[in-house]
Amino acid sequence: MLRFLWTFRACLLTVGDAIVVKDLHRQFEIRCPIHGFITLNSWEREIISQPSFQRLRRVRQLAWTDQVYPGAMHTRFEHSLGVMHTATLLYSAIRQASSDVLQDELGYKEEGLTRDLQLVRLAALLHDIGHAPFSHASENLFPKTEKGERYKHENYSAAIVRSELRNAIEDHPLNVTNYGFKAEDVAALIDGSTTAKQRLFWRDLIDGQMDADRMDYLLRDSFHAGVQYGKYDLNRLVNTVRAIPGLRGRAPRLGISEGGWHAAEGLVLARYFMFTQVYFHKTRVAYDVHLRGALEELLPERQFPSPVGEHLKQFLMWDDWKVLGLLADAKGGEHGIRLTTRDHYRLGYGSPEISTESDLGLVESIKTELGDLVVAEEESSKSWYKTGTTDIPVVSNVDPGTVLPLSKYSHVVLNIKPINQVLLYVRPEMAQNANKIVRGVLEHERNRQGTFGFAPNIS
Amino acid sequence: MNEIDKARLGLLPTLAEHAPAGHIGRTALMKYMYFLQTVRCVPLGYSFSMHSYGPFDADVLADLSSAEMLNIVDVTPVEFSGGYGYRIRPGSKADFAKRNASAFLAEYAKDVDWLFSIFGNMNSAELELTSTIVYVDRESARKEQRLPLSDISIRVNEIKPHFSRERVHGFVEDLNFKGVLIATVTDPVRRAG
Repeated sequence: MLRFLWTFRACLLTVGDAIVVKDLHRQFEIRCPIHGFITLNSWEREIISQPSFQRLRRVRQLAWTDQVYPGAMHTRFEHSLGVMHTATLLYSAIRQASSDVLQDELGYKEEGLTRDLQLVRLAALLHDIGHAPFSHASENLFPKTEKGERYKHENYSAAIVRSELRNAIEDHPLNVTNYGFKAEDVAALIDGSTTAKQRLFWRDLIDGQMDADRMDYLLRDSFHAGVQYGKYDLNRLVNTVRAIPGLRGRAPRLGISEGGWHAAEGLVLARYFMFTQVYFHKTRVAYDVHLRGALEELLPERQFPSPVGEHLKQFLMWDDWKVLGLLADAKGGEHGIRLTTRDHYRLGYGSPEISTESDLGLVESIKTELGDLVVAEEESSKSWYKTGTTDIPVVSNVDPGTVLPLSKYSHVVLNIKPINQVLLYVRPEMAQNANKIVRGVLEHERNRQGTFGFAPNIS
Repeated sequence: MNEIDKARLGLLPTLAEHAPAGHIGRTALMKYMYFLQTVRCVPLGYSFSMHSYGPFDADVLADLSSAEMLNIVDVTPVEFSGGYGYRIRPGSKADFAKRNASAFLAEYAKDVDWLFSIFGNMNSAELELTSTIVYVDRESARKEQRLPLSDISIRVNEIKPHFSRERVHGFVEDLNFKGVLIATVTDPVRRAG
């Protein structure tokens, strides 16, 4: 039907319908609390109007984080618009500052760069369209592939682009007349198919160390959660982003000029603080546990439908509203009741944010002593938001031929450690009992070792 | 820490020890993990996807950070003319991590030997290139496409235009000869003239 409508509109264009042409080139603006106005063309507006994109209005960005930070009720819808906007800023800055690298190493000409900007915008806009209800919190319930690897939301996003959105992408007159992109071109940038060819370079704007996704979600999550962490100088970062030439025969990659290293340091720190204060907050993590438990009760076969064939349509019927409706009908089992009554698991014991080998050994001892009282164990290293190694290349101002890692400039980044915290949860009614046991283990350890080098994290 | 975590942490210093130089870089680590999981089916649980610099999974670097913090490996930045890299060596707790993963390491010892027999002497650029070739090959196999070697070379060259077609093709032929590729068919004989 949609294909017919677009064909019909295209026919109007061929007879020179001035009103339709004017509509076609109209720009639309959407207000954004982070970026001000986000501008769309008629093609992007048409894609956003599709049911599979509108579904993102019903998928919260940070799951049940509002149980800790009540303002964190924002959705993947506004984040997706923000990523498209941020990716555009980064792309344009790189195009202006690094045209030599783009030409010499990737073979770009001006027309190609103009064309691919639109492709990157679409990939950024659609990169999260495959999120399950409540976003990352429920990704553990994605099924596994035949090879035993669990599907990721990017697989769902790419599948939706290739199927549900194919007509909206391929048949819009702006595309037909100016670009000729296939849905596959957009999907390939999202899931990293080799059909993306040299355009894979731009994939780092969507999935990389300094991607538009991270740049947007840190600012947006910080804003909605109402915390002062997560902020950094986006404008400075955009002004200094560069395409770094491939060294010793390697592929070119994203980096920054020397003037931007403090801004990049700010990005790294923003991520670190957001992780410790928001994403891996002990109570927020407890709600992830309950959500997964409730969804296992609600989902057919205790997992989401796969992104293959007709199963994808079934997957798209799952959004937060559906889950909340089922929870309201008391169909989520014990975890569902805990979610709806805010009767969450309590932290029995948590290791230090940066745990040494002996800290992790202590976790094992406590776990053994607590026995069946431990109802959930969560590791920060398994979190989607985990902080890992940061390696942002920085181009020297004095000698543009020299590239050094950010950690060479920033002592903070050099010394930052990955967070490998382990949290053990108990039922609220058993918290007091667990607390006594944990204190007993800690007392025993204290007597054995003398003292601890940290404040034990117990409820 | 589950069994896969222990296996990954035990494998890290093992790879560094096996390297001819006694250390490896971060690119080598990433690509070695990819080859072991993809070509030799070693169950590492990573989820690689394609970037312009070859297959990549941020979890490999996260594991490296964890291993560094637990002194399983030592990671030292190294500067060279115009750029930088990293030198990963076994750390003071390497033996402990290997003991924790001893059954896994014993089971897949031959795969590690195979890895270094094929890729042990390649530099970072060559590892980026060869891992991209394998990725293209496996993607074709997944789609049940059989490709002549020349088609694989063309596809890889489209991703990595900074390599010459001849150089790419040379590596494709070599990997095919060594039995690394699975989606290839012999190139049709070209007529002279």
